Amino acid sequence: MSVLRMMTARRGGKGWHWTDVFTWAWLIMGLIVMFGPALWLVLSSFKTPAALAEFPPTILPYAAQTVSVTIDGQVKDLPLFTTTLDDGTVRQLAEVRRLGTMATMVDPANPTDSVKVNIQNRTPVRQIAFATSNYVDPLEKNNFGLYLWNSVFVTTMATIITLLTNSMAAFALSKYDFRGRNAVMLLIVATLMVPLSVNLVPLYSVISQLGLLDTLWGVILPTVATPTGVFLLRQYMLTIPDELIEAARMDKASEWQIYWRIVLPLTGPALAVLAIFSVVWRWNDFLWPLIVLSRKEVFTLQVGLNTFAGELNVQWHYILAMTVATMIPVIIVFVFLQKFITSGIASTGLK
Amino acid sequence: MGRIRIENLRKNFGAHEVLKNINLDIGEGELAVFVGPSGCGKSTLLRQISGLDQPTSGHIFIDDKDVTGVSAADRGLAMVFQSYALYPHMTVLQNLTFGLQNMKMAKVEIDRRVADAARMLEIEPLLSRRPGQLSGGQRQRVAIGRAIVRDPTAFLLDEPLSNLDAELRVSMRAELAALHARLAATMIYVTHDQVEAMTLADRIVVLRAGKIEQVAAPIDLFDKPANRFVAGFIGAPSMNFLTVEEATPILPTAPAGTALVGVRPQHLDPAETGLDVTVSLVESLGTETVIHATLATGTRILATLPGHVRAKVGEHLKLGGDPARMHFFDGQDQRIG
Repeated sequence: MSVLRMMTARRGGKGWHWTDVFTWAWLIMGLIVMFGPALWLVLSSFKTPAALAEFPPTILPYAAQTVSVTIDGQVKDLPLFTTTLDDGTVRQLAEVRRLGTMATMVDPANPTDSVKVNIQNRTPVRQIAFATSNYVDPLEKNNFGLYLWNSVFVTTMATIITLLTNSMAAFALSKYDFRGRNAVMLLIVATLMVPLSVNLVPLYSVISQLGLLDTLWGVILPTVATPTGVFLLRQYMLTIPDELIEAARMDKASEWQIYWRIVLPLTGPALAVLAIFSVVWRWNDFLWPLIVLSRKEVFTLQVGLNTFAGELNVQWHYILAMTVATMIPVIIVFVFLQKFITSGIASTGLK
Repeated sequence: MGRIRIENLRKNFGAHEVLKNINLDIGEGELAVFVGPSGCGKSTLLRQISGLDQPTSGHIFIDDKDVTGVSAADRGLAMVFQSYALYPHMTVLQNLTFGLQNMKMAKVEIDRRVADAARMLEIEPLLSRRPGQLSGGQRQRVAIGRAIVRDPTAFLLDEPLSNLDAELRVSMRAELAALHARLAATMIYVTHDQVEAMTLADRIVVLRAGKIEQVAAPIDLFDKPANRFVAGFIGAPSMNFLTVEEATPILPTAPAGTALVGVRPQHLDPAETGLDVTVSLVESLGTETVIHATLATGTRILATLPGHVRAKVGEHLKLGGDPARMHFFDGQDQRIG
């Protein structure tokens, strides 16, 4: 009820104020700009390779309609066309064979009677059809199930370790007073300025020396220390009153207990925000996993997607379908944790 | 159990000396109140005793054991914070038991202590709630309960009533006094409210700028302030200070060496002869009337007269006083006699 009221509320009351028109136009434009590409992606992921190559492109996935015809005692699936005959009559005929610009067509109801038709005088009969094989094939033949599992493992592990290590660093940087605290914080934040491409080579040698090449841990470990996470958690922990920690200290709590039982539970909203960020980051990671992983068995989804783009042939139908598949978990995270994202981001003052 | 002794305690924050050579002995079962204006170091002193801060030099003894280097957790003290510092994500019960679990106490004993404390403080119905669902007074009780269940050698209370409204403060004050009588435990109570200090304390420690000005029982403090600062700080409204010349009409002969004469507003009465003052403001409180006035020399005088007094602004009044109830201070502001 309240949603309906919100949707239909207008400044002009019963009439339309110009701001109402503007608002609606603006919002609809925004909707198209933001959801248009995603929707097109989803629809295109159900198209056959032929339909994808078509120009002009169609919005919905179509496939040519076929009909079973018995010719010379053999049952064949033949494509159906709407054909304009020489005498001007329009009929639906099936194509038996085609030579140059002339096609031999038969009436499905009467297969013995064939006519020759110029292909300019006919249009294929099409119906909406979803090429679900785009989804089924990669999952069955290309090990995408395994890639999915790898991605889930990397994302979960990296997120757990990120939350743990970043919150520990943030705890020390917010609740302990030591010489050089601000310098350390500055140093951590300053690493935001170093792009990944600068780090790639040294990081690769480290991972290689540690023997983590071609393992999922080689993907996970270098990503877990995030300056953004430390900064976000520290800013939030600064708002936890020091008296609480002193009270815990009077209560004989060890420093670990203060961290684990007092500070961490109270940092919940900020942890939720960081968890969401971390899931999205790790799930969408491409460049680093691509460098570390070279065996198919350890590919993540994003790297697996890349295998469809070969040097000579790009399998767009599979890429599109698997892109949709990889988007689903991220979307689910956003749908269910949207409340945390907005409130958490608002309370941590992060963009 | 519960004797606290402080010897030559100093605390510096950088170059700033917050506590200057504090020596203090708090007896077993005593309720000592640290009072003083804000910034006098009373909370800092309490934090040194609690162990949350380390003194720059000096020693703290609890029951004749030097605890200066002992951590806050191992001093056996319990503290009630100004903000209560209840753990917001735990229920009242968890708040009460957190410290006991950390001490690895047997569950039976924990249950018994919590039940006792909850009954004593009448917070039994609140045990499953979280601090956010409690009123100010209830939170205060829980904070005190968290201290009681620890069965500490001494209680440290840092302005525990300052976050309550005036009415609740009066009733909680009475409850705290009753609690002290019942537990007979050593308590150190920090406040800037002299009414709390006067009503609760066995002994009051008056601090100013990091130094102890006087340690005495409340009435002694009122009757025999050791110096001009204590005289002015204790008692409301605060004491009038007159030069010997100004006081001549009510004090024919001052003790030798007197530089300043102190008269409490309550000890001035309208009289035939006495101080000649001009009324500048009249505050009628019903039970008493506070008259703000000035002497011919410009010195401001306060007089608290019982009942209703008809006085107009600009009117001349004569105020008399009993020399026996006056206080005399020398050139260094120290008490004479």
